Amino acid sequence: MLSDTARSEIQALMGRYPQPRSAILPALYVAQREIGWLPTEAMDEIATLFGMEPMEVYAIAGFYNMLYKEPKGRYHIEICTNVPCKLRGADKMAEHLQKRLGVGFGETTEDGQFTLDHMECLGSCATGPMFFVRRSGSDWGRYYEDLTPERIDAILEDLLSGEDWPMERSPAGPYHHDHHPETNFLLARIDKPDSHTIESYLADGGYQTAPKVLAMSPQEVIDEVKKAGVRGRGGAGFPAGVKWGFIPKDLYPRYLVVNADESEPGTFKDRLIIEYDPHELLEGIICTAWAIQAHYAFIYIRGEYMFGAQRLNQAIAEAKARGFLGKHIFGTDFDLEVIVHRGAGAYICGEETALLSSLEGYRGHPRLKPPFPAVAGLYAKPTIVNNVETISHVRHVLEHGADWYRQWGTERSPGFQLICLSGQVKKPGVYEIPYGTTFRELIYDMAGGTVDDRPIKSIIPGGLSMPHILPDKLDIGIDFESLQQAGSLLGSGGVIVICEGENIVPITRRTLGFYREESCGKCSPCREGVGWMEKILKRVEAGQGTLSDLDTMERVTKYIEQQSFCPFGPAAVWGLQSTLRHFRSEFEAYILETNPDQEKPSLPARPIYRPYVGEPLENMLDD
Amino acid sequence: MSDWITITIDGKEIQAKPGELLVDAAARAGIHIPVFCYHPKLDPLGACRMCLVEAEGRRGKMLITACTTPVADGGVYYYESERAVDARQGTLELILINHPLDCPICDKGGECPLQDQTLEHGPGKSHFWEEKNHKAKHYPLSDLIMLDQERCIVCWRCIRYLEEWEDKPQLGLFHRGGETVIDKFPDGKLDAYTSGSIIDICPVGALTNRLARFSYRPWELEKTPSICTHCGMGCNLRIDSRTHRIRRNVARENAAVNDEWICDKGRFAMGFASHPERLQEPLARINGELRPVSWPEALDRVVRGLKRVVETHGPAAVAAIGSAKLSNEANYLLAKFMRGVVGSNNLDFREGSAVVADPRGIPSLADARDADVIVLMGCDPGEEMPVLANFLKRAVLRGGAKMIIVHPRAIELTQYAAAFINPTIGAESAAFDALTRATLDASDAIIPDWLPEVEEAAQVAGISVEDVREAARLLSQAKRPFIVYGVDYAWGYGARNLVTALTNWVVAAGHGERLGFLHSQANALGAADMGMAPDRLPGHRPLSDARARRELEARWQTEIPTQPGLSYGAMMASTPDRIRALYLMGADPVGEKPADAKALAELDFLVVQDMFLTESAKLADVVLPAASYAESRGTFTNTERRVQRAPQAVRTVGKSVADWAILMHLARRYAPDKKDAWDTPSVDAIFAEIAEVVPAYRGMSWENLGESGQQWPRDAVSLSRELRPHSGAAIPPSPDYPFRLVVGSLLWDGGTVFAATPQMAGLARQAAWLHPDDAARLGVQEGDAIEIRSRGGSIRTFAHLDPSIKPGSVFAPYSFPAAPVGNLFDDYVPRTSVAIEKVT
Ligand SMILES: Cc1cc2nc3c(=O)[nH]c(=O)nc-3n(C[C@H](O)[C@H](O)[C@H](O)COP(=O)(O)O)c2cc1C
Ligand code: SF4
Ligand code: SF4
Ligand code: FES
Repeated sequence: MLSDTARSEIQALMGRYPQPRSAILPALYVAQREIGWLPTEAMDEIATLFGMEPMEVYAIAGFYNMLYKEPKGRYHIEICTNVPCKLRGADKMAEHLQKRLGVGFGETTEDGQFTLDHMECLGSCATGPMFFVRRSGSDWGRYYEDLTPERIDAILEDLLSGEDWPMERSPAGPYHHDHHPETNFLLARIDKPDSHTIESYLADGGYQTAPKVLAMSPQEVIDEVKKAGVRGRGGAGFPAGVKWGFIPKDLYPRYLVVNADESEPGTFKDRLIIEYDPHELLEGIICTAWAIQAHYAFIYIRGEYMFGAQRLNQAIAEAKARGFLGKHIFGTDFDLEVIVHRGAGAYICGEETALLSSLEGYRGHPRLKPPFPAVAGLYAKPTIVNNVETISHVRHVLEHGADWYRQWGTERSPGFQLICLSGQVKKPGVYEIPYGTTFRELIYDMAGGTVDDRPIKSIIPGGLSMPHILPDKLDIGIDFESLQQAGSLLGSGGVIVICEGENIVPITRRTLGFYREESCGKCSPCREGVGWMEKILKRVEAGQGTLSDLDTMERVTKYIEQQSFCPFGPAAVWGLQSTLRHFRSEFEAYILETNPDQEKPSLPARPIYRPYVGEPLENMLDD
Repeated sequence: MSDWITITIDGKEIQAKPGELLVDAAARAGIHIPVFCYHPKLDPLGACRMCLVEAEGRRGKMLITACTTPVADGGVYYYESERAVDARQGTLELILINHPLDCPICDKGGECPLQDQTLEHGPGKSHFWEEKNHKAKHYPLSDLIMLDQERCIVCWRCIRYLEEWEDKPQLGLFHRGGETVIDKFPDGKLDAYTSGSIIDICPVGALTNRLARFSYRPWELEKTPSICTHCGMGCNLRIDSRTHRIRRNVARENAAVNDEWICDKGRFAMGFASHPERLQEPLARINGELRPVSWPEALDRVVRGLKRVVETHGPAAVAAIGSAKLSNEANYLLAKFMRGVVGSNNLDFREGSAVVADPRGIPSLADARDADVIVLMGCDPGEEMPVLANFLKRAVLRGGAKMIIVHPRAIELTQYAAAFINPTIGAESAAFDALTRATLDASDAIIPDWLPEVEEAAQVAGISVEDVREAARLLSQAKRPFIVYGVDYAWGYGARNLVTALTNWVVAAGHGERLGFLHSQANALGAADMGMAPDRLPGHRPLSDARARRELEARWQTEIPTQPGLSYGAMMASTPDRIRALYLMGADPVGEKPADAKALAELDFLVVQDMFLTESAKLADVVLPAASYAESRGTFTNTERRVQRAPQAVRTVGKSVADWAILMHLARRYAPDKKDAWDTPSVDAIFAEIAEVVPAYRGMSWENLGESGQQWPRDAVSLSRELRPHSGAAIPPSPDYPFRLVVGSLLWDGGTVFAATPQMAGLARQAAWLHPDDAARLGVQEGDAIEIRSRGGSIRTFAHLDPSIKPGSVFAPYSFPAAPVGNLFDDYVPRTSVAIEKVT
């Protein structure tokens, strides 16, 4: 069923990885591009090519949202309805789309042109509402942002006209990042025309740090990064240099994995670097790979960032052509291959061990720790996983030195950071600011305050996973320690602002909906519990809640938080726990208003089924 | 206990092994931490979160999973602390919310870990008011296994079993989050040969046995610890019956034999016991027709019939064929009856004396599991002994063992082989000569002058010199090799030379003592131990051993004829000329070779003792209905000399009687004067006698065999292994019969065992396997009807094209009654040449 071209493309992909199985997602993409979806015959063929059981391929395809198990319309439209977009009116746009196309979510228009789905956060929170469109049987897909009903109508017309729109974002959206010129380093170049090209990067003094670093000893590099105290920007804030130091001596090969999965709702900073300054990231990768002595670096980029992946591949090709990547980089003895690996729609693959499972060609389930990836990671070899932004900081730290970096920020959160500001503020965007800048400075001085100048009701400070904080914390610094003291975490630096007038019940319900959708399903508390919480919240929202539901949620979220296999579990319920804590009276009022008699829900009847349908009768009968 | 460490659980100090998991250490101390996903034979996963306990850590007490935490010296853990108890209760509450709770109609109810743990650790009350998730309720994974996705608690045991033991990930997860289900590939099937193991280890009723479901509640079952009699491994199992009917077989742990796994044949092929066509009463030929008669009459007819032949033609005109599928007691008494009562040494069983077996079988099955080098010569554990095959795969995949396979076709295990040697059929001895020579070349040993050069021998065998040198190097350097040969190289033309040649290689490599013969039938080794051979007395003592004879004569109140008897092939060939009466116990020569029906019909007297009216029985003068092994008591000796018990599990069918009892009564009627010698009123008594007359069994008794059996000492039978020349010239191909016939066993065959279990009927596929190139030359396509002819006879079957077949050969599996390969054999042994034609 696959063409010979596709088969040889797949074979070539298998050859790119140290272990061919890693090419399974790319191979499935090839098949999907050719056929439009993944019929079992195609999976069977791919299994044969990889020497795997067909079931393994099927199980993998079944994990990832971007791999279609049934045919879709010519255009697949997925509109983000997650909290940041919701706060910017996504529900209305979704309604408009449904009306316009005459289909509900999960349905295809009669003419087969459009399939509509609602989606989780796609990393456009400051430019929402937005949707993502893919054309069946092609590599074409792009984001449409800042949607209005009129724009939606025009886009649909354009799509039907068959014209090829460039995948590039146009115009470069309202990314505000110039309010603190003092620390304008990571994003300094992104507004320039052609900022993504190597010529532009070189003209701005790029690729001068890497050769300097290659002349240092790896240990010196590690020490410098340690001294600078660069903390991980992917969520946990672990000091990068310290992590690098965990690699066991004399164990080779080693791998560098750059986490570009950026799927935490409210986070969209890595995307900016990837799309508009990819060489900055590549130079950071060269420095890091040298420090840990890795000859392979993988950039695991979320599948929806199709444009970003394209940009990275262009940049890699440019750098290779100049001898900055590949064999003997910069004329040294050091070889470095960088491989862009696209995920396929699974938030959990941002978690580092799940990411490694996925990169090895398995379903993206988290793994037991220990062993930690630095000891046994990719292919059970020492592996450093770092976030895109972390690696980009490394490049600047090594250019200017640890002391330079430490002039900003706090003692334990040194330097500056990218903060993704979304929700109900006047100027949402990415802000490059020193650690310790207060929320008030960020929201009121830089972002111009809230929409319609409404008072702030609640802030989610570190991506949707983190506990809400109340506006009484506006004057704390945005850094790891201050947020921890305030009962939350800085996480991935996604600040979502919610204003008075918003109902906390649907926001919390939508939050749980995301985690229910994205739970990998490995461990019981998360797999069963998160869906349960969402069911309760849906019922409450629909006016059938009782006050005891609040106690149940409080009790059960504790199990999910403390007993899950991986940090996804706690992340899934921190939002709910914090809104129950901060807004309990609002929940109670809502419940009493919508269900004044506190009627208990009726227990759903079990569907009737005969357990022995299809069984030969003799099995049922006794002798 | 110097290398033990001390940990504390709930304030109690416990000794633990360094590095072992907390859950195991606790269990040894009697603290049974509840688990679902954890299974001692599978890699820890930590998914279900049932085994939570508190551990003292740097930052205070924290919850940990006991199933993934190796104990730390001085570690302090709390199992009964308030938080730990609450945590486990919380996990159970969450596991139960979407569980359908259909315990009243669930097969597992009553033996379900989820039920038991809910009672012991559960919250006792549900707070779940929502609609449960609905999934597929009765979803067949195969003809044998049913899945209920709603009951599944996603513990991954089934997935991990198939991955870690079968290396066949045929089950996996699909979707994710709350929608996660266990599934198979939509167009695929679950056909791993030990797939049924997942039913045993599923901690809920999600996986059920399609042959057994809804036919019992676990507490109603009568549970009999027994063994499987389908192959020479002798896996331990438990027969569960209700109302005297076998309801299911489940695996029983025996660390030395099968660990805790059995294959699907052993588990599911149990229909024989209650099959409607089982013989219910004795039959005798009256006026040319088989008619029911009473037992006394049937036995009298046998006595009269045999005596008449003895009187007219002498005792040497009587022959008996025993069975490698029947117990030691049955075979022993048949041999004793023939030698001691009738006075004939014409005793054998198919694949008996003609097979050049090592009478001691293999050194030990356990060797397979920690071997560093595995050598398989002319045997196919993948089809013959699936549980062993899994051990071998695991030794390769996990233990880094190197596997060397010498075989006429690319068997399934070939994919794990470091060296696969596929010699020209008929020239295998040359292959082993090459291996022997390469081994000696690389050592400083003296090279016998009869041994050809590597290149020369390799050329004759049609194999590559590199493969030969690599295989020779691997075996020479082995420290703990597992080396076996099987019936494919030990039976038929040239087999004696072939076995000499392969032995030479192993001896040259310095591992002579490690070489063994893998018996593929349940009691082939035991039957030989019992003297079921024309020239061997019980205990492998030669008939010519006067002392041995005297001992037996005293015990049997008889005189044993000194003239050796005829082997199976010779008996059949001299029927009806020299052999005028035949006693068949569990043997069906006509089924094996329908062409022999004519000869058997001409016998003066034919007795068949069997469970079914076999093709041979249809010709018999008297048919004696025998009980199955599950309906009688008996011992069986597996290929590692392990004597194991199979107690009676269910009552007999109709008037059928255990084989041993039939023989005892027959002997008493035949020779009332030998009453004392036949005072063996029970299996225990017969086994006691065996333990006296078979030196290797000395000291054994039914009682002390226990539940895991006893191995007889390997040195009880001595065998010298040295380099020996052989005359194994390559067998030249014949222009009239251009294909070499390769025979062998498939697990799913068409034999009685399967035919009697209709639910398994779809599994076997009758076919002869051809290389696609040969097929193209013959104009034959997949599924075409073909005729295979040899000098001896012909069969009709269907073609299956398979690149694993060596060009120029055809693989025809045994035990398909419609295509009896026995028809093709010359002199009742395989290894012959055939012609193939498409049937139009
Ligand atoms: C559920 C979950 C999702 C995550 N998603 C991301 C992600 O999208 N991007 C990322 O860089 N790190 C993510 N992380 C954090 C990674 O596990 C890992 O800590 C990080 O990539 C390490 O890089 P850093 O030290 O540079 O932050 C996630 C963690 C969890 C538990
Ligand atoms: S908490 Fe459990 S189910 Fe949830 S994502 Fe992690 S491993 Fe998967
Ligand atoms: S079917 Fe049974 S063994 Fe398999 S995952 Fe489900 S509960 Fe576990
Ligand atoms: S038994 Fe420990 S997590 Fe399942």
